[in-house]
Amino acid sequence: MKTQRLLFALACLVLGSTRVAFAEPYLAVQQGYKCVACHINPTGGGLRNTFGLVFAENTMPASTLPANAPVWLGQVLQDIVRVGGDLRTDWSRTTVPQSPTQQQFALEQFRMYADVSVIPNLLGLYVDEQVAPGGAQTMEAYARYGDTSNWYLKAGHFYLPFGWRLQDQTAFVRTVTGINMTTPDTGVEFGVERANWSGQLDVTNGAANVGTGSGYQVTGNLVHVQSIWRVGVSSAFTQSDTGNRSMYGLYAGVRTGPIAWLAEGDLVRQAGYPNGTRTMIPALIEANWAFRKGNNLKLTYEYSDPERSVPNNAQTRWSAVYELTPIPFLQARAGFRRYQGIPQNALQNETFGFIELHVFL
Amino acid sequence: MLPACSSKRALPAALGLLSSWLCACSGSGVGLDSNGQPLSGSSSGGTVPLSADFDAIQANVFTPICSVCHIGATAPEGLMLDAAHSYNLLVNVPSTEVPSILRVKPGDPTNSYIIQKLEGHAAVGAQMPLGETPLPASTIAFIVQWITNGALPGASASAMAATFRVSSMAPEDGAVLAAPPARIIVGFTRELDATRADTTTVRLERIAGEAGDESATAVALEPSVPAGNPRALLLTPRSTLMAGRYQLVLSGQAGAQISALDGATLSAPPADANGDRIIARFIVAETP
Repeated sequence: MKTQRLLFALACLVLGSTRVAFAEPYLAVQQGYKCVACHINPTGGGLRNTFGLVFAENTMPASTLPANAPVWLGQVLQDIVRVGGDLRTDWSRTTVPQSPTQQQFALEQFRMYADVSVIPNLLGLYVDEQVAPGGAQTMEAYARYGDTSNWYLKAGHFYLPFGWRLQDQTAFVRTVTGINMTTPDTGVEFGVERANWSGQLDVTNGAANVGTGSGYQVTGNLVHVQSIWRVGVSSAFTQSDTGNRSMYGLYAGVRTGPIAWLAEGDLVRQAGYPNGTRTMIPALIEANWAFRKGNNLKLTYEYSDPERSVPNNAQTRWSAVYELTPIPFLQARAGFRRYQGIPQNALQNETFGFIELHVFL
Repeated sequence: MLPACSSKRALPAALGLLSSWLCACSGSGVGLDSNGQPLSGSSSGGTVPLSADFDAIQANVFTPICSVCHIGATAPEGLMLDAAHSYNLLVNVPSTEVPSILRVKPGDPTNSYIIQKLEGHAAVGAQMPLGETPLPASTIAFIVQWITNGALPGASASAMAATFRVSSMAPEDGAVLAAPPARIIVGFTRELDATRADTTTVRLERIAGEAGDESATAVALEPSVPAGNPRALLLTPRSTLMAGRYQLVLSGQAGAQISALDGATLSAPPADANGDRIIARFIVAETP
């Protein structure tokens, strides 16, 4: 307990502000941290490290645990095996013009994470397994060599670094680029961490090449981090029999008082369409207002041009999401998303509302 | 392309870089079909409301969403979902990932692999569309209803039936395949006479030698016309195809020709001197 209290005190001292929510990059922007500060995975997402859990237990929620309550730090075997999990279940309502409104309860995801530090700060094994819904599916499984606070090499199956690693996998910038937390890839990643810089270079199969036995993808990401702002660039090239793809991304974040701003703009060029190469431009701007401890209001505007050479085809999406973290490891979310596209396509004009329960370790 | 905005907003100077995004409105859709493509040269033929009809599902789901990836010679799992191929590659065709389950089993959406993939509970792989927003439940409901109703072809299939000819091939003519296909599927414009679908009317030949000095060796296969999809001819090789060049031949011999249920014989592609019709050539590449 003494160690845990020290960690808590350290977290409070370093984090300072209590106007936070969790588990998304805006949090890093608010605090001026890199992803590796809170996550085992140096590019963010998934299993949290000790610092990340102390942060989640004491700084994020509206109410903290009593001082003498047992504290979850994720460690099964001290400094060797760490586990975690993430469950999201929701009720949602989808309205598509000219179609009956649909509403349902659903288990969105139940994931288990584990990390084995075979040789501390040198060799580790990491797995992210989605156990529900549907059949079990390995989202990440890789070996890691090196020190994630200096340089490292990953080999195996993992998410690629490109732009903001948003919690919302349906954001245009994540779906159009095809790089998100539902599309892991297989290959190797070399990463470098410096005081104000993070960089990754990945060579992988390319998600479009699954099952073809040919093709490759090269992905690069570089971000410069300061206490109240950061800017990053990403690039990827995929060689594929279905058509080559090249992508360029620019993303940035800045903190203005209690509001953390995120922005990203990408350029995607995909060959292989019947009418030739298609140029697509997705973009996002998001404001996260942590107006009280444990409360965050997220407003997002997105834009997508699905084919630059065709006029009048742009799509937009507005989202408003309220996130309440009343106690550690538990979050309630409620949100509304409004899609707007060409009027003759009903699917581009749907509205979507949800209430979500999120529990994580 | 950015359209003109109907309303102007003053934006903070600090966000000037982002002003074009904030000002960007959704497209008016003027001059476009439901897939967001220009009406001239469009393949979808304009707006079709989503309903439990195959043509409507094709126009609203398969073409604009699925065929972004599922198109061409290297479509994932060999499943091409453009309008020319989708019906014949879906209905009563075994899935590649779980061959014991049909991609679309007429009358039984629960045991149709496409529904399992769209709803995200298939035994293998990720939910479709891969990495995209899952289809709304209401959209999947239309596909479920179409399957429940028997997974009938749309009116466009009937419109194609003026002549009896090959309408689609998987793998496509000229394809270079990284892996041997589990089966070959030929789509026709009319319903086939299943009794004429046998090894005397259709042959798969492996080609050896150079141009002008080629020889052909027949490959053992099992032809069948799937129940519920009588416009498709399934050809399942009895053993895994080796690397090499192949051609698919429909016999022109009298009494050994594939024919439509109404007795019509093929009008295309043209026959060679023997009366045979080579409908596709493809290559199975060497495995590295």
